[in-house]
Amino acid sequence: MRNSPLSGLRVVALTWVWAGPWMGAILADMGAEVIKVETNQRLDAQRTVKVCKDVGAGINHDQFNITNRGVKSCTLNLKQPEGIEIFKKLVKISDAIISNFAPRVMPNLGLEYDELKKINPDIILVTLPAFGSNGPDKDYVSYASTIEAVGGLSASFGYHGENPVLSGTYPADPIGSMYGIVGLMAALNYRTKTGQGQHVDIAQSEGVSTLIPEIIMEYVMNGRIRPRMGNRDEIMAPHGCYPCKGDDKWVAIAVGTNQEWDATRMIMGNPEWSKDEKFSDQFRRWQNQEELDRLIANWTKDLTAYDVMNKLQKAGVAAGVSLNVEELINDPHCKKRKVFVEQNHPVAGKTIVYRSPWTSALTATNPPAPCLGEHNHYVFKTLLGFTDSEIAKLIDKKVIY
Amino acid sequence: MFYKVLDDVKVVEYGNFISAPFCAKILADLGAEVIKIEAPNCGDITRRQEPFLNDSPGIESSGLFQYLNMNKFGITLNPETATGKKIFGELLKNADIFVENNSPKRMKELTLTYKDIKKINSRIVMTSITPFGQTGPYRDYKGCELIIAHMGGVGYVSTREGNKNKEPIKYPAHLFNFQAGLSAAAATMIAYYHQNMTGIGEQLDVSEQESVIQNMNSAVARYSYGKQIIARTDILDIAPAHILPCKDGYIYVGFVEESEWRRFVEVMGHPDWADSELFKDAWTRGRYWDALKHLMSEWTMEHSVEEIYRRSQEKGIPLGAIRTADQVLKDKQMAAREFFVDVENPQNTNLTYPGVPYRFSEIQRESPLAAPFLGQHNEEIYCDRLGYTKSDLSKLEEAGVV
Repeated sequence: MRNSPLSGLRVVALTWVWAGPWMGAILADMGAEVIKVETNQRLDAQRTVKVCKDVGAGINHDQFNITNRGVKSCTLNLKQPEGIEIFKKLVKISDAIISNFAPRVMPNLGLEYDELKKINPDIILVTLPAFGSNGPDKDYVSYASTIEAVGGLSASFGYHGENPVLSGTYPADPIGSMYGIVGLMAALNYRTKTGQGQHVDIAQSEGVSTLIPEIIMEYVMNGRIRPRMGNRDEIMAPHGCYPCKGDDKWVAIAVGTNQEWDATRMIMGNPEWSKDEKFSDQFRRWQNQEELDRLIANWTKDLTAYDVMNKLQKAGVAAGVSLNVEELINDPHCKKRKVFVEQNHPVAGKTIVYRSPWTSALTATNPPAPCLGEHNHYVFKTLLGFTDSEIAKLIDKKVIY
Repeated sequence: MFYKVLDDVKVVEYGNFISAPFCAKILADLGAEVIKIEAPNCGDITRRQEPFLNDSPGIESSGLFQYLNMNKFGITLNPETATGKKIFGELLKNADIFVENNSPKRMKELTLTYKDIKKINSRIVMTSITPFGQTGPYRDYKGCELIIAHMGGVGYVSTREGNKNKEPIKYPAHLFNFQAGLSAAAATMIAYYHQNMTGIGEQLDVSEQESVIQNMNSAVARYSYGKQIIARTDILDIAPAHILPCKDGYIYVGFVEESEWRRFVEVMGHPDWADSELFKDAWTRGRYWDALKHLMSEWTMEHSVEEIYRRSQEKGIPLGAIRTADQVLKDKQMAAREFFVDVENPQNTNLTYPGVPYRFSEIQRESPLAAPFLGQHNEEIYCDRLGYTKSDLSKLEEAGVV
């Protein structure tokens, strides 16, 4: 990948589940060679835990193929001393190691930063533990929902006046991935200037807390806990998601200024109720938002969500369809911007993936996610110089495993 | 700054609200010199956004603004004036990075498109963050947190415990505006690294909608391989993966591995019902969740959040205490890592803010500086840096340029 921003950079990925793999996929998008070190000893949970029915592709299937696209896979059993020796050879010829294993894992394998830098003095290690690699709770275990809970996000998530609930997605993980990239790139820039390597440690729970300063500062400044508000805003109204024509179809509308409210009224055909004193300015609309929401829902329910969005947007009002995944993938805007890419995975077949959340003239599309050990030959023979018979022995001994 | 890493990097920010200011904050936290350009008189819109210290609004007292703009230089400039445009060009000429989140239309009006800027500075990295990106049929559509959450597909699957009669909802606060700013910072740092190596610049087209889409891997996998369209009703095929009420709050209870469930049964004191055939695996527990929720809640309601959290974690079970802001601020783990920082602010009381989630082993952490008050660094930048005299500056002020 000539001209790619990160071409020539080699990253070893001890990654699993989501935060680490997604970081690797983005780095690969940007031209880095990312080598994921996996093992049959303990497979990546996304190779084994399935969200949809197995179509016979076994461990080369499902979410794994979205979050690991573009990376290379080799199998190496780090529970064996020979596995560790080979891993160290790989470290020697790499720029960085990224890992989202629990903080105890790498030290237990004798692979803490102080050891790694003996092998390669300017190596960069980026770790993405849930709570950080130091501190009293460093060994606490987590899924993304655990991190969102402890980081202070979940307490404010839910319908207005109701209990907190779980969301259908897990932003804590991709938040960790992006902070991982920020940390890695910072360390690489530092290395360019000083020749010095680095261990960058990123606490994912802290990452979540940095994205919700309103909630934190509300308490610091006024001693208040932010209530759960569903779709509501602190000042805007209407500001909600309204039912539309069809089964489970919805449109979101956000009105701030009086000008936007006038435009909304015009699109609704200036109904009599909209002229009422109680909706005449932003504060009154906000105060009377429950009634306002009912009246707007009464208007949207006979229209398609796309129709409402396009009409309001053309009049300068922020509106958007609450898209389901099928609508999202087929949406004309996403199509035009090639957000989703259909890949032909050698085992799983047709696979829909989405690209990085930005584009530039220099970013590229990548091959599908690797099958387990797909790049063993490349890594062990081409990169590390083992002969075919040595490799066969290592496979026999379950070192390459 | 927090860490002196990008101290030779010059950034110009022409941003408003959250996404671009947060992107530039991340660069400033890492030591880059960020010059934030605000509109004369009114400044960034977050200056007028909650929360305000002691609920008393004022353009120097928004917690959101203060957080987003620490470690930056602040100047005022009106690029609609001819002189303002010229000064803008002078700033961009010397910059490595330009971060903005204005609509493509507005940037065209101001002749500040990438094409325009490339003529002044061919090696610049320009990071443009908009709700729907620089191209495509919705490029000029308006978007805010609510709209991008729903247009990115996250709303439709939120919440897991919802049902079709209840509307899809957004995440709290401005999570996805922030996530877009964070993604933009990752993109910018990659592009800067490349620029530093090769002298090649580029425009990064960051779409807030696409930043939301990156959270959708499970829904996309289900659609890709199973043609399933996940909604709020049918995500819960396994259980528990829920939030349960406790004596004094709430706890997240969710398992991926069966052994975690069995260990949690022991934490609950192994009640008889736990051996029922109805709850023998994650899928049957999902099917009979209503009954199970009732039984589990009876136990959780008798215990405190911290007690359940600590006892489970000690057995390696990934439960999560649902922490409110006051509890996050008191968290011993975050305190041990000195995550929260006090920022000395000459305009205001010293307050505690969230810090940064990364630690560098070989670089000393430093104390951050307070956000600039409106136009605080006009003299420093216009006179000391760009060579205008003090009397020029007062004329520029009178003319409404700065």
